[in-house]
Amino acid sequence: MPGPDDTEAPQYRAARLRRALAEDTRTAELGVQVTVRGEHVYLSGSVPSRQRKEELDHVLHEKEPGTRVHNDVRVVEAGEPGEPEVIE
Amino acid sequence: MIRIAAVGDVHLGEDAHGRLRPALERLPQHADVLLLAGDLTRHGTEEEARVVAAEFRDLGVPVLAVLGNHDYHCDEVSALTQILTDAGIQVLEGDGVVLPVGGLRLGVAGVKGFGGGFAGKCGSNFGEPEMKAFVGHTIEIADKLRSALDSLSCDTRVALMHYAPVPQTLHGEPPEIYPFLGAYQLGEAVDATGTDLALHGHAHMGSERGVTPGGVRVRNVAQPVIRSAFTVYGLEAGTGED
Repeated sequence: MPGPDDTEAPQYRAARLRRALAEDTRTAELGVQVTVRGEHVYLSGSVPSRQRKEELDHVLHEKEPGTRVHNDVRVVEAGEPGEPEVIE
Repeated sequence: MIRIAAVGDVHLGEDAHGRLRPALERLPQHADVLLLAGDLTRHGTEEEARVVAAEFRDLGVPVLAVLGNHDYHCDEVSALTQILTDAGIQVLEGDGVVLPVGGLRLGVAGVKGFGGGFAGKCGSNFGEPEMKAFVGHTIEIADKLRSALDSLSCDTRVALMHYAPVPQTLHGEPPEIYPFLGAYQLGEAVDATGTDLALHGHAHMGSERGVTPGGVRVRNVAQPVIRSAFTVYGLEAGTGED
C-alpha cells in the first residue's frame, strides 16, 4: 500500500487510510471515520478498549510514518445500565 | 412485564476476557433474558468465540444470540456456533424460541440480516450476478425472519437481528452507507408478523430509537450506542397472538 504523496487528493488518502483500518486484521475497525486536513489525520468513532484505540495509531504510523494522527476515538463504556425503558 | 436485556457489537478479541463480566454478574436483577445482536467477536475466530462464551455463560438468565458480519469474517461460523451453544448460548439464524417468563410466553426469532438499503434508496435484484447475489441474500434472510417470527406461538414477539430494519436508528451514520447497514425487507418481515419489538446492532454511530412503517418499536443496541454493557427494555404484555 503506498504512502502519502503530493499528488494524492485528501479524499483518496482518507479512503485509503479508512480501508486500512477496516481491513488490517490488527484493527478490523469498520466504524472509524478518517478525516484528512493537510498533514493532519483525525480519527473519530468508537472502539471497545484502550488497547484497540492505540492499535489504530500503530497501524497508521506503520502505513505513513510521518503522519500526525489525532486519535479522537472514544472507548466504549461497559458498565451497568441505568433505568430500563418501558415499552407499552 | 417482560424485561429484555440486550447488547450488540461487543467485538470481543482474544484479549477481552472479563471486559463485560463485572457488569453482567447482577443481570438477573435487571432482566429475564439477554439478547445478543451480533458482532460478538472481532474476526470470527474460534479463540474469540471462546472468550464470548466465557463472558456470557452461566448468567442466570437465558442468553440468545444472532451473529454479525465480523463473526463471519474467518468462515468459521459452524465452529463459532458450536462453541456458543456448548456454553448455553442459543444462536438463532432463521429460527426462534419461546421462553416462559413470569406466566407469559416470550417468543424471539433471529437472523443476521444483511444490507441493501431502504425503500426508494435500495439495490434491486437485477443485473450482474454479484448484484443479484447481494440483494438475493437479503431477500432470502428477510423471508427466513418472516417465517421464524410467524411460527412463534407466544404472547410477546421479538425480532433479533444484526443489520437494521429501518433507517431511523442509523441516524448519525453517513447516509451514503445506509445500504450497507440494513434493509427495508427486514422491517417488512417485522411488520407482517405482529412483532412487538425489533432489536439490532451494526450501526455504531447510529441512534437507539426508531419505529417501523407499521408502528413496531426498533432499538439499536450496538454497545457504542447504548454506552453500557447492556440495556434493558420492559415490555408490557404484547399484542402478538398465536
